Amino acid sequence: MRPPRGRGGGGGFRGGRGGEGGFRGGRGGGDGGFRGGRGRGASRGGGGRGAPRGGGRGRGGGRGGGMKGGSKVVVEPHRHEGVFVAKGKEDALVTKNMVPGEAVYNEKRISVQNDDGTKVEYRVWNPFRSKLAAAILGGVDNIWIKPGAKVLYLGAASGTTVSHVSDVVGPTGVVYAVEFSHRSGRDLVNMAKKRTNVIPIIEDARHPAKYRMLVGMVDVIFSDVAQPDQARILALNASYFLKAGGHFVISIKANCIDSTVPAEAVFQSEVKKLQQEQFRPAEQVTLEPFERDHACVVGGYRMPKKQK
Amino acid sequence: MSSLRNAISRRAHKERAQPSSRKKFGLLEKHKDYTVRATVYHKKEETLRKLKEKAAFRNPDEFYFQMIKTRTVDGVHKPESRANKYTQEQLIEMKTQDIGYILQTLQREKKKIEKLTAVLHSVDNHPSTKHIYYAEDRQEARELQLQSSENRGPTPSDDIPHHIKRKVAASYRELEARKSRVNELEKIYADMSLKKELQKKGRKRKLHEDELKNPTSNPVYKWRSERKR
Repeated sequence: MRPPRGRGGGGGFRGGRGGEGGFRGGRGGGDGGFRGGRGRGASRGGGGRGAPRGGGRGRGGGRGGGMKGGSKVVVEPHRHEGVFVAKGKEDALVTKNMVPGEAVYNEKRISVQNDDGTKVEYRVWNPFRSKLAAAILGGVDNIWIKPGAKVLYLGAASGTTVSHVSDVVGPTGVVYAVEFSHRSGRDLVNMAKKRTNVIPIIEDARHPAKYRMLVGMVDVIFSDVAQPDQARILALNASYFLKAGGHFVISIKANCIDSTVPAEAVFQSEVKKLQQEQFRPAEQVTLEPFERDHACVVGGYRMPKKQK
Repeated sequence: MSSLRNAISRRAHKERAQPSSRKKFGLLEKHKDYTVRATVYHKKEETLRKLKEKAAFRNPDEFYFQMIKTRTVDGVHKPESRANKYTQEQLIEMKTQDIGYILQTLQREKKKIEKLTAVLHSVDNHPSTKHIYYAEDRQEARELQLQSSENRGPTPSDDIPHHIKRKVAASYRELEARKSRVNELEKIYADMSLKKELQKKGRKRKLHEDELKNPTSNPVYKWRSERKR
């Protein structure tokens, strides 16, 4: 009596795994659902008492995957163009995935079915990993990064935020992502292989002359370099690539600039430095629940004088 | 063959019940009940027989250590005391063997919280963050003030269906529950590790309240610094 029962249980378990495959497939695309079906078949082959149960679970998993893209989640546009808010089991900032079925840093993906039956996939934008997302949630008025914008991204790291910026600017925009470290640059290049609007540059942002041939004039510079001379780096790059009347977004980590004075004083001094370099800061938000002692400053560059 | 026999339904077999006149004897004993009872009875009988045999063949001059280790008190045999048979290390181990499990649970909960916070951004309400505007002159500052006071109002999304609102709320509830559980687990873990440390060797003493630099309600111990080779 014993051994067959044990084997049946094994079959049931395998069936369950097949079901999970189906679940994942349901989220990703059509072919995964088929895999779920195969899992069910395997469980039946296992025989014994547990088999029907395993099959049932497999089927249940598949059904769950199908429901996932249905009415369980609502996606609505955010105040910022190109950014969306998904509500459902999650309450998250999302961007429309340029490469459906593909996650960059294992973030959650949400697919939504439109009224006309087409599917749109969104990726959750984690504010704990992205300062831009934290700034958006912090209530910044303008990020200037919008569909069709050309963006120079300094300090791209592994390209997690860059991927979302590329989602936001869409196929008509361009993101030039500069990163010095080869190690994280490798991930950046791999990400850029799948996103045609990202141009990875593995170079020191302190020497924009080295990559001046790759980068055209841009509308926005986003800087997240966390270096003591980041204002100078931003100014240097702006002088090369930022159009007059363009905008900048800079994230300031107080600890990286001076860890001995309070964070507010550091932000003040950085803003002063920016003002000396033809930048006109417009607003500043702290990234408080997500990052400690960080601020995000947004403003314009070589702004036209106001007529009196 | 047996399956064919099963195909035809047979009359249900009914067991005889205890007659109502004998209800006071409980359920009617069947043969299988009798065999159980009888084997137990015979086992006891056999044990008694063996013990009696042993007593009959006992050598009065024989010595057993149990004779001097244990004694009878008022004719009742007292077995050897079982207390203090564990070493200090064993006692420490026993008292804190759950610490690993607690730590594992704590880490699991933390991981789950991380996963939940990755998708729960409380998009609608972030009033606490500081927002600073920079203006060129007084007039612009006034304009900005007006604008910001208009914008301040939260934008609750009304067109979201009710069942989705419920889901969002449930997710936030789960997050809160997990956070409170992590708090409790952390407390338990700190407690257990303190107990473990206290049971180890090393001279220490409990600090008085007036010795604490930053007073807490928890006990604070100080170890004598010891030179380690």
